[in-house]
Amino acid sequence: MANHLPAIVIDNGTGYTKLGYAGNTGPQYIIPSSIAIKETSKVGDQASRRLARGIDDLDFFIGDECIDLNGYSIKYPIRHGIVEDWDLMERFWEQCIFKYLRAEPEDHYFLLTEPPLNTPENREYTAEIMFESFNVPGLYIAVQAVLALVASWSATNGVQSLTGIVVDSGDGVTHVIPVADGYVIGSCIKHIPIAGRDITYFIQSLLREREFNIPPEQSLETAKAIKEKFCYICPDIAKEFDKFDKNPSKCVKKYSGVNHITKQPFDVDVGFERFLGPEIFFNPEIANPDFSTSISDIVDNCIQNCPIDVRRPLYKNIVLSGGSTMFKDFDKRLERDIKRLCNARQKLSTQLSQGNITPSQMNVKVVSHSMQRYAVWFGGSILASTNEFYTTSHTKQKYEEYGPSICRHNPVFGALI
Amino acid sequence: MPGYHSKLVSPARKIGNIAFLTFKTKVRGPITTLNPEDLVDNEMDIIDEALLYFKANVFFKQFEIQSDSDRVLIYLTLFITECLKKLQKCTSKDQALQEVYSLAVSKFDIPGDAAFPLNSVYSRPSTLEEANTMRGYLNQIRQETGQRLVERVFDKETNKPSKWWICFAKRKFMDISLSGRGQ
Repeated sequence: MANHLPAIVIDNGTGYTKLGYAGNTGPQYIIPSSIAIKETSKVGDQASRRLARGIDDLDFFIGDECIDLNGYSIKYPIRHGIVEDWDLMERFWEQCIFKYLRAEPEDHYFLLTEPPLNTPENREYTAEIMFESFNVPGLYIAVQAVLALVASWSATNGVQSLTGIVVDSGDGVTHVIPVADGYVIGSCIKHIPIAGRDITYFIQSLLREREFNIPPEQSLETAKAIKEKFCYICPDIAKEFDKFDKNPSKCVKKYSGVNHITKQPFDVDVGFERFLGPEIFFNPEIANPDFSTSISDIVDNCIQNCPIDVRRPLYKNIVLSGGSTMFKDFDKRLERDIKRLCNARQKLSTQLSQGNITPSQMNVKVVSHSMQRYAVWFGGSILASTNEFYTTSHTKQKYEEYGPSICRHNPVFGALI
Repeated sequence: MPGYHSKLVSPARKIGNIAFLTFKTKVRGPITTLNPEDLVDNEMDIIDEALLYFKANVFFKQFEIQSDSDRVLIYLTLFITECLKKLQKCTSKDQALQEVYSLAVSKFDIPGDAAFPLNSVYSRPSTLEEANTMRGYLNQIRQETGQRLVERVFDKETNKPSKWWICFAKRKFMDISLSGRGQ
């Protein structure tokens, strides 16, 4: 490692891309995974439409700069975590490296991330772009869930396990991904149609029923700000309602905003939505009549579907990742609920065996840590700053000898450092 | 765990399949005696429970009836919503007390009547006499609930209904309502 410049870690998510140098505690940039390009005409296929003359192919913007541009069309090259448009992705990376990180890609190893169940072909495309367009010296493609596990090492008192179940909740969707010894158990992945955006919408609807001085065009951003600033998870909603009734001065918070158009300030009382918003993880039916399974049931169910020999280690290492798991006491509530489910199941098996089987207490532990929001990037930063990273990565030399197929497989490492 | 259920043990006596629960009241009606042992922790009666769980339960679209007391709980939750609809228009506590009183004693449907929304899970009283007792019992419990609700909803200082209650007036517990459509 001594001879190397730090590796570059880029985590491409559906919503946001996190990029920075390995060894840092946080990403240098968090930008929307969007790209604004000029498309010349509306006829012809994609390639001919984007055919550029002269230096036109440098005429594009990524991230936050896209938003206010006129005459450009905004594209999102990543859908559901998987890269859909490789041409745009290449240009996206181009600006990530040259415009944002201002790095020389020949000098840095790269760690990129992929969603679970990504196809090997996609890894080949990634390798082609990285090695041939950018001429990088080395590349490693890591699974996001595994990196989230690595990130949790900061909170596990030195235990560095690559077995655990990752609850990853961003803005669009929530996944529950079991990982055993660094390998994702693909058949057991569960998706939950509830994530940050649903909480925002629910808070917005609650506010609409009660607070009348929010300008309608600002209600979504107000709801989002309230979600991020005031929400928490409570152990019991009926008791929490009672607490608010008895002690409103302490529980009700004030949010002040400014109307964009009239520049008049407005005040909003923030009450029940503080705990009702995130509650939809645990009681989804209060916001969505079509879906009623609590996140605790799904995690428990997911573990029960996994091979029997990894179930206990999985219960012991439930790892949170993503911005929507940042609510205060999310870990405590999840841990309590899953413990209850386990205890009930064990009690039942004792009963059914008429006392012949008494299973030992299930050790349930939900790991929460301060890096949760960028857990995947942070995990990548940890791994890419080890010496092992440089020996495990695919090198330019190997690529030229064998071709892109070497990147189909990225060996697991880091379990024993 | 969808929703909160009544912790009261269903008593032996019931009308139809609604539990005949005793509660603290000064309103005249079939409930005359109160034995503290029939209450949760010797103090919470069914109306307290309904008021306590109202805000949490009103969000649920489904509710599993686990006991005969739950039937009273559901009825009260629906009735509280009706009261809130009246209360949001009231400007003083006295006016509010009058409004809920007239709502409580106005003509209402009991299980078995065609317009009662939950006839599939509430059984019809078998005799005329039982129907009369049920009407009296529901009447009494409606009046008492209304009074206690007004105490909670009205702010002592401003003499205005609290928005922390009124905001629930539009919610429909289990997607049903005691009043007909459009009311």
